[in-house]
Amino acid sequence: MHRVVLCLLILNAHTWAEEALLARKIEALLPTKAAAANDAEFLRRVWLDFDGGIPTPNETRAFLADPSADKRTKLIDKLIAAPRFAVRMAEAFNVMLMERRGENEVWKSWLVECFKTNKQWDTMVREMLAPDFLDEKQRGAGYFITRRLEKVGQQDTDYPGLTRDVGRMFMGIDLQCCQCHRHLSVNDYKQIDFSGLYAVYQNLKLQLADDKHKTPWLSEGLIAAKYEFVSVLTDKKAQTAPRIPFGEEVMIPAATGDDGWLVKPDRKTKEVGQPKFSPLREVAQRIPAPENALFAKNIANRVWFILIGKGIVEPLDLHHSENPPAHPELLELLGRELTAHQFDLRWLIREIAHTQAYQQSGAHQRHLTAEQQLRAFLIATGERAHLEKNTKPDMTVDAFKYSLTDFEKAFTAALANPAKEPELAANPSLRSALFFRNSDHVQWALKLRAGNLIDHLAKQTDPAEELYLTTLTRLPTAEEKAELQSWLKAHATNKTQAMADYAWALLSSTEFFVNH
Amino acid sequence: MNPLCTPRDHTFSRRAFLGGGLGLLTSPLFAEAMKQRDKQVLFVWLDGGMSQLETWDPKPNTEFGGPFRSIPTSVPGVHFCELMPKLAKQMHKLCVVRSMCTKDNAHSSGVDRIQRGDPKNRGVPYPHFGAGVAKLLGPGSSGLPPYVWIKPGSGGFRAEDAGFLGPKYGSLAFGDGKPPDNLLRHPDISAEQDAARNELRQMLDQRFAKQREKRVVEANASVFDMADKLMARADIFDTSKLPERDRERYGRHDFGQHMLVARQMLEAGVRFVKVTSYGWDTHGDNFNAHAGMVPKFDQAFSAMLEDLEASGLLKTTLVICLSEFGRTPRINGHVGRDHWPEAWSIAMAGHGVKHGMVVGETNDRGTEVKAQPHDIGAAFHTWYRALGIDPMKTEFDNAGQPLPIAHDDMLPIKEALA
Repeated sequence: MHRVVLCLLILNAHTWAEEALLARKIEALLPTKAAAANDAEFLRRVWLDFDGGIPTPNETRAFLADPSADKRTKLIDKLIAAPRFAVRMAEAFNVMLMERRGENEVWKSWLVECFKTNKQWDTMVREMLAPDFLDEKQRGAGYFITRRLEKVGQQDTDYPGLTRDVGRMFMGIDLQCCQCHRHLSVNDYKQIDFSGLYAVYQNLKLQLADDKHKTPWLSEGLIAAKYEFVSVLTDKKAQTAPRIPFGEEVMIPAATGDDGWLVKPDRKTKEVGQPKFSPLREVAQRIPAPENALFAKNIANRVWFILIGKGIVEPLDLHHSENPPAHPELLELLGRELTAHQFDLRWLIREIAHTQAYQQSGAHQRHLTAEQQLRAFLIATGERAHLEKNTKPDMTVDAFKYSLTDFEKAFTAALANPAKEPELAANPSLRSALFFRNSDHVQWALKLRAGNLIDHLAKQTDPAEELYLTTLTRLPTAEEKAELQSWLKAHATNKTQAMADYAWALLSSTEFFVNH
Repeated sequence: MNPLCTPRDHTFSRRAFLGGGLGLLTSPLFAEAMKQRDKQVLFVWLDGGMSQLETWDPKPNTEFGGPFRSIPTSVPGVHFCELMPKLAKQMHKLCVVRSMCTKDNAHSSGVDRIQRGDPKNRGVPYPHFGAGVAKLLGPGSSGLPPYVWIKPGSGGFRAEDAGFLGPKYGSLAFGDGKPPDNLLRHPDISAEQDAARNELRQMLDQRFAKQREKRVVEANASVFDMADKLMARADIFDTSKLPERDRERYGRHDFGQHMLVARQMLEAGVRFVKVTSYGWDTHGDNFNAHAGMVPKFDQAFSAMLEDLEASGLLKTTLVICLSEFGRTPRINGHVGRDHWPEAWSIAMAGHGVKHGMVVGETNDRGTEVKAQPHDIGAAFHTWYRALGIDPMKTEFDNAGQPLPIAHDDMLPIKEALA
């Protein structure tokens, strides 16, 4: 039996690109049970994953009609090479890393640039963890830390929150409970693991943008001694130098007083000073390193999650020995190979996309993110180009009352999860239902306007085919065609409105909300 | 016109009752309507920690008693702090437990611990009481969201309140008591058109559900249904049409107006209504702060009790009022009181609990509970019992693992149960 499966795997494997070696190794570990996704399902999925939107009816028709055996490989490669890929990945990583803390253009363009140039993940993380605020190309990366150190009302600067997030995002470990004592349910996590990082981040100070710095930036204090901490459970005192979780302590140089400063602080000139010893840079070198196995495993698991909809380890930020991966060999393989490939994310994404696990039917059905929904909605309604051009909205003219930014804001408000929580699943909510049902944005996009979906459908002899291809990336069944016909007949007094209502029902349906 | 009657035709109309005069009160028809009415909960949360000494459990003329006097209540022998004259007149409706003794004296963890009933650690987050009730009793015949939360500030849906029960049972918060965005039908769409296209959407979803994972479609369907129900009752957010006198009685402050919206929600049949008032964390200037806040609480909470009684809803509604802890008897250097989970009070009224009852007692200085202290787990047992749910026989289902609905080593506060 196993041999038969293996033979099939090998046969299948040959039809795909020869160089997709990791993909073949993954498949050897993961025999898939479900049937492969059909062409239409596959098409919609890869578009949503790598473009962030859905294909047009013509793109769909061409793909469905293409008889070549390697059309899926070609499509994956085409989408990954397209400019949209960088934007879509930037969106996904923005949501993952910032957890809906608000938008920032400098940060967003840094992310887009990273994916455009396929910057290695370890380099990206070094730039985020020890940002060079004077380098125009890098300073956007600093937002990861600076945003988290902004004061909220009367609350203290959230150094513990930043410490926690560095562990969560870059090593897949949530050390929150270790701020005050050893972790009560995770034996691997100790108070020293939190404290070693906390020693670094509590030493930062958020500085406002000034003549030299175009963005808020960070200054470091002088660290001359180890950081002391006490367990609230045992009252036991301990100390640590800056240290990454489970790693070695960084040696604190013996310099004292003025010797410790590269640039001395000076109140008169408002110079905040710069110490010779920078724990921030030390840690930023040690976390994204091949020796730190959790660094590679964490990102492999997160990329797997973005594409497959489920982590190999879940929760994504709870890697530890008593929470083993669903498939230990798979995570091991991904981490190892990614390290060997210098943390090349585009390579990893492409390999995963080439596996049967990615291409099976219905297995990872999930709701679209707010960004995917917006793009899919605007492509389907044919209003995207119009909104993109309209940078200066004019409330007095109906056709020009919205810009793309207005739509981005409205869709995010209605569909995104609450801030500061991992967005693991975009759950439908009362808010999203009311938005689709009653909002002016949705209503506006479905008004008859030259060049949009409703206008386009009015000119079709077979509107059902065009409507289903546009919204759901598939052809309608005979039953569905008949239903549309009888709907239009029943509402013959106002055909435009009847068509808009049918489009509304499809765009508000679950089938539109999920990937396929 | 639909020849069949809808569930709403069967729900008891408060207006019909009020308009019917007093004779109706004793009629068998009324009794029947009351019995059919779903049980409901009003949960008043005074965030930060209300001082028991300036409210339910005064200790005048003692070391830590503070400057206020105590006043007699409608139940002989029971005294409240003088800052609550209106509630003092309603003590005969209340059940006050003065022997609360809980474990957490931090806000960050305490708020959650108390609202989740502080059960034994099972490695999964427990649901808030509201989510538990939403799960065990459902939305009821109103079809409205089962767990709503009226609070100052921002609104939104809080899935995490549901813990392991899953996001469906989270709380729907109405910030500043305002309706959610996009609640009203778009002016360009007629009612018939709106209904017709929504039916079409349902039909498409039902077909899709046949070929796909049901769960995904159900999650979508349930929020659209809820949107439908809430749109039909958009009036419950509108207090502007209420008599001027009502708005005055509840008080023209946030808490008062939010309680008024809460009353409308209860009347509309929402299963569980939580109302939060912030700012009770009086580490400094405790007495002036309480002198400012307690009378507002006294005004709105007593108006609510009066109205629930007049409409008959108090018979079917369990009313609960508490904080994450009480405040220290010792007065600190800033004339404030700090966090004190060791000995504090909660108040209840309505369905399932005794009326005019005081349970437990603190010592003369108010520092400790005399005799039997009660943890929050015992309060959860009491509340579930009061709602007719037996925690010994009912369990939550955590993805196949049965878990107790309240702390397994605790028992209800027997003296409090009717």
